Amino acid sequence: MLLALIKIAILLGGLMTAAAYFVLLERRMAAWIQDRIGPNRVGIPLTNIRIFGLGQPLADGLKFILKEEFTPSHVDRALFVAAPIVILVAALSLFAVIPVGSFLPSKVAGHPLSDGPIEMTVAPGVDAALIYVFALSSIAVYGVILGGWASNNKYSFLGGLRSSAQLVAYEVPMGLGILGAVLAAGSLNLSEIIAAQADRGWFALLQPLGFVVFSVAAFAEAARLPFDLPECEQELVGGYHTEYSGMKLLLFLVAEFLHMITAAFLMVILFLGGWHFPGLTGSSMALDGWGHPGELWLWGQALVRAGVLLGKVFCIIVFFMLVRWTWPRFRYDQLMSLAWKVMLPLGLINFVVSACLEQLQGTLGYAWLRWVAIALAWIVLFGAWIGVSLLGSVTENRPRRPAQPLESDLRA
Amino acid sequence: MIARDKLNLLKDKFGPAILRADLPDDGRLFVSVEPSAIRDICRYLFGDLDARYIISIGVDDRPFSGKFLVTHNFAFDAEKLLVCVMVHLPAENPKLDSITRDVPAANWAEREIRDMVGVEFEGHCYPKRLVLPDGWPDGVHPLRKDFAWNEVPKDFEEEREFEFDEPPAGCTVVPFGPFHPTLDEPAHFRLYVEGEMVRGCEYRGFMVHRGIEKLAESVLNYNDIPMMAERICGICGCVHSVAYVQAVENAAAIKPPPRAEYIRTIMLEIERLHSHLLWVGLACHIVGFDTLFMQSFRIREPVMWIAEKISGNRKTYGLCLIGGVRWDITAESRAELRAVLDKLEAEWRPLVAAVLKDRNIQKRTRGIGIADKTACKRSGLIGPVARAAGVDIDCRRDHPYAAYDRVRFDVITSDGGDVWSRVVVRAKEVFESIEIIRQCLDKMEPGPLQLGIEDELPVGRLGLSSVEAPRGESHHFVITGENNRPRRWRVRAPTYQNLQGVPAMIKDQQIADMTISLGSIDPCFSCTDRLETIDLKSGATKIWTEGELLKLVRTKKA
Repeated sequence: MLLALIKIAILLGGLMTAAAYFVLLERRMAAWIQDRIGPNRVGIPLTNIRIFGLGQPLADGLKFILKEEFTPSHVDRALFVAAPIVILVAALSLFAVIPVGSFLPSKVAGHPLSDGPIEMTVAPGVDAALIYVFALSSIAVYGVILGGWASNNKYSFLGGLRSSAQLVAYEVPMGLGILGAVLAAGSLNLSEIIAAQADRGWFALLQPLGFVVFSVAAFAEAARLPFDLPECEQELVGGYHTEYSGMKLLLFLVAEFLHMITAAFLMVILFLGGWHFPGLTGSSMALDGWGHPGELWLWGQALVRAGVLLGKVFCIIVFFMLVRWTWPRFRYDQLMSLAWKVMLPLGLINFVVSACLEQLQGTLGYAWLRWVAIALAWIVLFGAWIGVSLLGSVTENRPRRPAQPLESDLRA
Repeated sequence: MIARDKLNLLKDKFGPAILRADLPDDGRLFVSVEPSAIRDICRYLFGDLDARYIISIGVDDRPFSGKFLVTHNFAFDAEKLLVCVMVHLPAENPKLDSITRDVPAANWAEREIRDMVGVEFEGHCYPKRLVLPDGWPDGVHPLRKDFAWNEVPKDFEEEREFEFDEPPAGCTVVPFGPFHPTLDEPAHFRLYVEGEMVRGCEYRGFMVHRGIEKLAESVLNYNDIPMMAERICGICGCVHSVAYVQAVENAAAIKPPPRAEYIRTIMLEIERLHSHLLWVGLACHIVGFDTLFMQSFRIREPVMWIAEKISGNRKTYGLCLIGGVRWDITAESRAELRAVLDKLEAEWRPLVAAVLKDRNIQKRTRGIGIADKTACKRSGLIGPVARAAGVDIDCRRDHPYAAYDRVRFDVITSDGGDVWSRVVVRAKEVFESIEIIRQCLDKMEPGPLQLGIEDELPVGRLGLSSVEAPRGESHHFVITGENNRPRRWRVRAPTYQNLQGVPAMIKDQQIADMTISLGSIDPCFSCTDRLETIDLKSGATKIWTEGELLKLVRTKKA
């Protein structure tokens, strides 16, 4: 019980701090890409020490907290308040099953901490962990829809509707991408999926197409540019959070960043081997101290594994940010046709191919078959790539409906 | 010769309806006609002779001739000719046949004349208030000479609200503006939306009128006006200042010294450079590509610096006066300008290459906001919008002014008629501008900057001037007058015509494409809205306390 509380405290504190500093990182990266300087002024208050603007997140947070909490008179109050809570709670509780490393040794300096090795997950051993993740990430959509609906504003409403359609559409390819990994690992438990990859190789290498489909869907789920249609400022002002201010807005923004962090964690855990790194972390699930006896070795290995996992997550998040400043936004119908006409078929292809390959390997059992399977998977990826490029017209602009003259046409 | 030919054509066809004609030079034709024949003549010019409609102007000429004057201006671009068809209307109850059934582009212009001068247009397709504010009393026309520039109508109804049309059946209204992140200036589009598709819209603009034309003809003098003219627009002010000065020079038959013409050309092109760079940035911002937005602003900044170095200001150069310019471009700033141009060209080339290759930008802009040749003709669209539709017009070449007849440049056209083509046209025009400035710097020779004008300017003469602004043709019309100021000065900014094409562009496409379609004409509402009268609150200034404002905001409106 105490252990779980400590884990929760560390996780929550870590996540909120991470979200705050990722905002700073994102702004600095944007500035770097755009040949600007970025926020570098805020350091230690009342001194001239700036420490590269590391005080900025604190100032931002303070600003949000001190800002007036303005609730417009035309909103549905109960839902208006509920929306940011729903979205943040869903985003945070999702992390209950997500491992941030493998195990910690059960003893520190000879004192036992618990009965066995401590799993670096708040809720260890949840067998249906992936299903839990999906269920909660779907609930986050409710926050968006509620916010859009309760705001009683056409732009917010459009934003809410768009995001519900978008998130529902991208959950399908996302699920298909995951299915391949689940099939290969034979488990829904995230720790076991990592262990399977440590054993057999990262799924990003074994099922590259599944990884691509999942990554694109993860971008869309996190509503990051180029998929940030629910809140695109140029069309919908602020989308579903147009009417929000102060702390409520902060909750929405934090939840959005958490979605990105979740997506990065899932990409790392499901496809990029989690804590595993060849030649660095050992590949058995339990800690073995690289074959050395002694508690110090165990602790070292545990920390290296956590570091590898978090390092990978960090790289993915940086990748997310690079993408954001490299692409223009898709249009809504292009986004939907990408989901239904490209990602869904690709996800299905990946699923069928990996299922067949798994079955073949399982029944025939030749060692060389493993390399054939990898080669085939990559061939499928490039084949799909070429196919999509050839059929590129699916995401082109739709022809406009033949003009029906309206009376208002004459009035300009 | 061309002007004479066109006049003969008109005389052959309409004979007695042509009352008087004036051909001051070969690029201008002023024809005074019978009011009853105006519709046929305009249809003949616009339809049969394929003239381009520019603008209609209403003038209260009662103090001088006892009549109202309405003119319809047309351009023959290929033949380098501007035609001004004038009718005089009685002082009592002035009425004229509307030409909108034949020339749809005259829609706004006629409504504006109706609002401001009080001439009724019979048979107008949509006679609704355009320019005057919501509460302005009917029957009060601020551009009439008996209405003082600082007068406030007594029965102004603060509470009256504008009556919008009913949306078509099955459509929801989505208000776009007056305040919206992509609109840098206030304008209101009432979009009729069916799902995510826009089915139509109603426009209500003219929210930032500053009474510029009224001020010009009541309190300023000839050489004050260029200063105000360049404040018409936040980006392309120099255009208006040059266009005004040229219109007066045209009316008074003055030709400025060559060096002044070169300096005007250089400043106009510097302005086009920074305007186009700004636009490419904004367009990228609208489609959600902020990196390119920032990069093009970074590339643009040195242009602003060199403008400041040359003129003392990033904008509002204070350049023109009648018969010349105020300041010189020194040898030092010439060298610096060359360096800036070289750097700009070197940086702009890779950026354009990146934009032109980007498939995602193309996906967002191809086939969007289409205005084809027919639409350009119908709504009188001009500038990059028309050139992107393959309409080969450019005032710099077609109606040469300043030093443009002495430099070589290409008129960039494209044929898609969509937003993408406008991106391409503007991106490439930057290179032409750089070339023009370089040629001017080479050819400029020492000489006087101004004419010494000793006499008063002749009274009652008409002048026309078309200047190619970054957004299209900026057309100025001047009637010279007494007291060292014009009797009437009419500014037709390019956005005035281009905005009228927007409803057709955005119809039947997604609401997401609305912003980039509107953005693609590079709308400049300040230009369009230039002539509202009087600050209505000026009599009763009040400083709101924070509490009062909060109370105001929080009061629940029924």
